[in-house]
Amino acid sequence: MSLARIRWMAAALGVLGVAGVLVLHWLVFFWVGTERTMGIVQRIFYVHVPAAWVTFLAFGITALCGAAYLWLRDERLDWAAQSAAEGGLIFGAIMLTSGPLWAAYAWGTPWTWEPRLTLTLLMWFVFVGYFLVRASAEDRQAGKRMAAVIGVLGALLIPLVHVSVLWFPSLHPQPVVLNVEEGPTLDGDMLITLMTGLLAFTLIFFSVFCLRYGLEHMRYQRALEMREQPRAT
Amino acid sequence: MTVYLRQVAAIVRKDLLLEVRTGERLAAMGALTVLVAVLFHFAIDQGLVRMQLLAAGLIWMTILFGGMLGMGRTFEMEREQGAIQGLLTSPVPLDGIYLAKVVSNFILVTLIEVVALAAYWLFFGFNYGNDPLLLAGVLGVATLGFVAVTTLFSAISAQTNMGQTLLPILIFPLLVPVVIFGVTATGRIFASRPVQEVEGSLYLLAAFTVVALTAGTILFRYVVEE
Repeated sequence: MSLARIRWMAAALGVLGVAGVLVLHWLVFFWVGTERTMGIVQRIFYVHVPAAWVTFLAFGITALCGAAYLWLRDERLDWAAQSAAEGGLIFGAIMLTSGPLWAAYAWGTPWTWEPRLTLTLLMWFVFVGYFLVRASAEDRQAGKRMAAVIGVLGALLIPLVHVSVLWFPSLHPQPVVLNVEEGPTLDGDMLITLMTGLLAFTLIFFSVFCLRYGLEHMRYQRALEMREQPRAT
Repeated sequence: MTVYLRQVAAIVRKDLLLEVRTGERLAAMGALTVLVAVLFHFAIDQGLVRMQLLAAGLIWMTILFGGMLGMGRTFEMEREQGAIQGLLTSPVPLDGIYLAKVVSNFILVTLIEVVALAAYWLFFGFNYGNDPLLLAGVLGVATLGFVAVTTLFSAISAQTNMGQTLLPILIFPLLVPVVIFGVTATGRIFASRPVQEVEGSLYLLAAFTVVALTAGTILFRYVVEE
């Protein structure tokens, strides 16, 4: 894909995404009904769940592109993996801050060792490790490969972590699981708001993804130009 | 196949010989293990908590920290002297190098576990239950998984300028299953519960170990290739 096209896509997705987020906020604040038991805090749900969805999506893209990069060694796959991981880190941070805020009211405690919570926290730390390795690698190429390995290994072991936490003998409360799985049984207006949130966040994610990908593209081109310059002069 | 095994054995032998001659890693790991036990003695009010109830958790955390300290240096020494180049260009396949490092690290960590069990028995009089064979089995399987993950990541951290500082951040999120099922299984063995209560955890530990070892064997080549 050419750079101009990436730029155009990033802009288009960005405009749509921001518009979607504005609509989402209008829906959340003025339109959707207030949930009966949890009251007004339940509205955090419409930010929290889309952020969680994007985080999982981003992690999946990073792992797939990382594996493909190790196999095909196409720089573009590495740009994509890195761009997705950065998006995942940001949306993961949104999820991990909005979650406890909601939980503090809904469950009376900001944190429980509920499987989903634990899983996403650990996944977020795998992302952190991904960037620490990239940033501190002594050799850039090795950094890319090692980051890809972390992405792949993370994707392989995270399901095991999930199973372990699920079976961890403790008294984890279930409300959040029900809340999430209740999706289809949500009221119509709640479902519409949630879907708007999911769409808006996904658009924003792909806009940021394109921007980041374009930046790597430019860096690569610049590096090529710099290499050719001494010969030209 | 026999050539492959001989090559792996040669590297294991070299690593262990180096360890016997210098004693570098083992001394540091052993000292840390005992010192962590000493610190736990002061960190926990034994008038409030019965140490025996915490035994499995304390021992596992000690093994994790002690093991990580030594395994973080799996590739350091060879990198400092440039020997890693020789090792990587030798006719030994890269996965063979990884497996050899896993085996030598496994032996080191197993020794540390013996030190940890002895230290905790000495300091706190822990009761380790009445099934030493099952205990050895659980410790062995869990340790292999722990070592498989840590060896791969020590090859990664050795190639960064953050070095060993990076290692815990990379491995701890992935070692959660080892901690959960390792602690659950050993805790039940310490309490002399029937075998049936340990089996489930043991199978999951085995699953983790198989996945970690397979992934490590396949992915190691991408970490060290030049």
